[in-house]
Amino acid sequence: MSIDALVWAALALTAAGSFCAYVLSVRRLYLLRSDRRHRAGEERLATVTAALAEGDLPRADEPSEADLELVAELLARYSRQLTGDARSNIAGFFESHGLVGREVAHLGDRRSWRRACAAFLLGDMGSPQALNPLLRALDDSSREVRSAAARSLGLLGSGQAVEPLVHALVERRVPRAIGGQALLTLGSEALGPLRPLLLHREPNVRAAVVELVGLLGDAGDARLLTSRLRDSAAEVRAKAARALGRLGAEEATIELREALGDRIGFVRANAAVALGLVGDRASASALLEVARSDEFDPAQAAARALSRLYPQLLWSAARDRTSGPHLAEAADLTAAAR
Amino acid sequence: MTTLRTALEILALVAFGYFAVLNTIYLVFTGLAWRAVRRYRLARSYSAVDEAFASPLTPPVSVLLPAFNEEAGIVESVRSLLGLRYPEFEIIVVNDGSVDGTLTRLAEAFELVPARKAIRASLPCARVRAAYASRRHPELWVIDKENGGKSDALNCGIDAARYPYFCAVDADAILEEDALLRVAKPILDDPGLVAATGGIVRIANGCRVDHGRVTNVRLPRSKLAVLQVVEYFRAFLVGRVGWSGMRSLLIISGAFGLFRRNLVEAAGGYAQGAVGEDVELVLRLHRYLRERGEEYRIEFVPDPVAWTEAPEDFATLSRQRRRWQRGLGEALWRHRRVAFNPRYGLLGTLAVPYFLLFELVGPIVELVGYPAVVASAALGTLSPAFFVAFFVTAVLVGVFLSVSALLLEEFSFRRYGDDGDAVRMVLAAIGENLGYRQLVTFWRVLGIVDMARRRKGWGAMRRRGLGYAPVGGASKGR
Repeated sequence: MSIDALVWAALALTAAGSFCAYVLSVRRLYLLRSDRRHRAGEERLATVTAALAEGDLPRADEPSEADLELVAELLARYSRQLTGDARSNIAGFFESHGLVGREVAHLGDRRSWRRACAAFLLGDMGSPQALNPLLRALDDSSREVRSAAARSLGLLGSGQAVEPLVHALVERRVPRAIGGQALLTLGSEALGPLRPLLLHREPNVRAAVVELVGLLGDAGDARLLTSRLRDSAAEVRAKAARALGRLGAEEATIELREALGDRIGFVRANAAVALGLVGDRASASALLEVARSDEFDPAQAAARALSRLYPQLLWSAARDRTSGPHLAEAADLTAAAR
Repeated sequence: MTTLRTALEILALVAFGYFAVLNTIYLVFTGLAWRAVRRYRLARSYSAVDEAFASPLTPPVSVLLPAFNEEAGIVESVRSLLGLRYPEFEIIVVNDGSVDGTLTRLAEAFELVPARKAIRASLPCARVRAAYASRRHPELWVIDKENGGKSDALNCGIDAARYPYFCAVDADAILEEDALLRVAKPILDDPGLVAATGGIVRIANGCRVDHGRVTNVRLPRSKLAVLQVVEYFRAFLVGRVGWSGMRSLLIISGAFGLFRRNLVEAAGGYAQGAVGEDVELVLRLHRYLRERGEEYRIEFVPDPVAWTEAPEDFATLSRQRRRWQRGLGEALWRHRRVAFNPRYGLLGTLAVPYFLLFELVGPIVELVGYPAVVASAALGTLSPAFFVAFFVTAVLVGVFLSVSALLLEEFSFRRYGDDGDAVRMVLAAIGENLGYRQLVTFWRVLGIVDMARRRKGWGAMRRRGLGYAPVGGASKGR
């Protein structure tokens, strides 16, 4: 290491450090001004934006490009909380100003983050024109783009998206949480293509579908789900029990009680939760037995289910010191909540 | 005399080599961090956090709060947790045999009533004395146990947890409203793959805290705390982002980390008596998963924030840094077979060797290097001009790394909006290289000495509390 090299390194570092400090201060000044402008713009345009969402399209002057961007940002934010006519009005605004077309074009950008942003924004814009481009984006090479497209397809609320979303979910092209949530957003329309997948050969897919049917379905789905309580995969049996509980499937109580004897602990725990949700008081003695003698998770779930179904029975059982910790915990929790 | 000169020359050479390699690594990491943070920031605009909040598919989480003599800030911390934006969670405060008013304050603030609590016996922990449920918040539990240390308290919390994931949070930390959702995002995206995630820790001294929320982010008045703010930028935004990108993250801060419970239980929970329980657990999870050939990820997420209180006096800071160094040393020693072992991939060939050579042993080289270089210059084996040029370059590299970390913060999350604060941070980035770093190096060497002397315990920590409360003391993560 020579002195010259060190001197050059010191000079370079001084220059680089000074440049960083300079960029920092310039950026601060820039942000100060743009934040101020942004806030003032938001205040100024809030009324116009609300009117646009209501369907009143003020035609007096064409907004400047900066105002247009700001209105678009505000509308995109509003649209997440809106449905029906207001959402259609917002979509109409984006379409008429060419913003939907612009974002659709961005779906072909070479940068994956840009494509993902476009896919996400198209969901907020809510325009049906974006449906086909978003469906194609489900096959994008980037997982982030596919996820954003799945989320947006859910928001567009079109039945056409159900099957492609289900396939994307099954083939694990989109994360389960995002694909699943998109299907939940689409609502009961998603049930048709989901039901046949209850018999899919892959246990992971069956488990995910059982969960979604439990969240979206109605009493009519109870029979299909009850049959999954005898699935070869424990994960599917557990999700089926939980789904039946959510649906309040009284006709499945016998099978759910049988599931309290499943060889896998988390299946028994979910069956106990389900019996509590269904409100089957006839299961009280079976739940009491599980709460007293089973391993931690099923025993805790059974005790809590009992507190929903039969608090008096729970309290009297908890008085017995040999009844185990779970009944005592559930009894004390119920008492604390009173 | 010749032998002395030769020895000094060798020492000086080692110091130069160490300096060159370490700073090259830092520069590479700074580059990696810029790339990763920029990418993360862009991804935030399409991260669908609102959807995750509304989704019944988001997994429930047990938040664990180990507390030892935390009367100063415990109420604010629990309040911040109760206000988290997350679909389903429970909070378990584990009072680890506090001798102050921690339990009383909790009981008053949250209307606690005695309640029996079922506890698994899957992990070892000290005897539980009592448990309390809250009348006002059914999702809040307080477990009062005999003192056993932070690891012991966390193990007790894991034993009491209901949900498949747990989030360990320091009792003096304040989580931002969306922090849990954001730190859980990798798990939502890849539930089968992600074993653990950690968020960023920022310094809350100087910030306004209102009802468990940081409502105005400002720099601390204390110069010592400002230096730590800049230091944390480097550690989190540069170091952890870099290691996480290489799938070799070694530290998830004890102040804020999310873990898959069954995995932690299978790996044996937190190590009893470990002072660096955070790094030890992450290392053990890496080992556990790699030795079973499982595909997994342990990730750092740079956005979700846990605000914590930094020491404002030298004595407390020195105890903290000695403890961190001792904790790192103990964890690396416990898992020494990973070092330089290609079986563990980049973890064994790069991450652990780096932490061993530069983070653990490095301070000794640095501390010996300073007098060696000065003595070499004094004895004429090193030209005074070279000595001055080297010293100036060393300081400038440090300044550059700190300023670029500040710039990274500015272009990514920009939490400190006040312009005066920005100027103070730049000054701190320059100033920390002129004394502060050397002092920290000295404390770290003392930490190694503590480790060699098998010193145990955490040492008292002086706290003021984030909710403007009087005094306190506790243990916290790095």
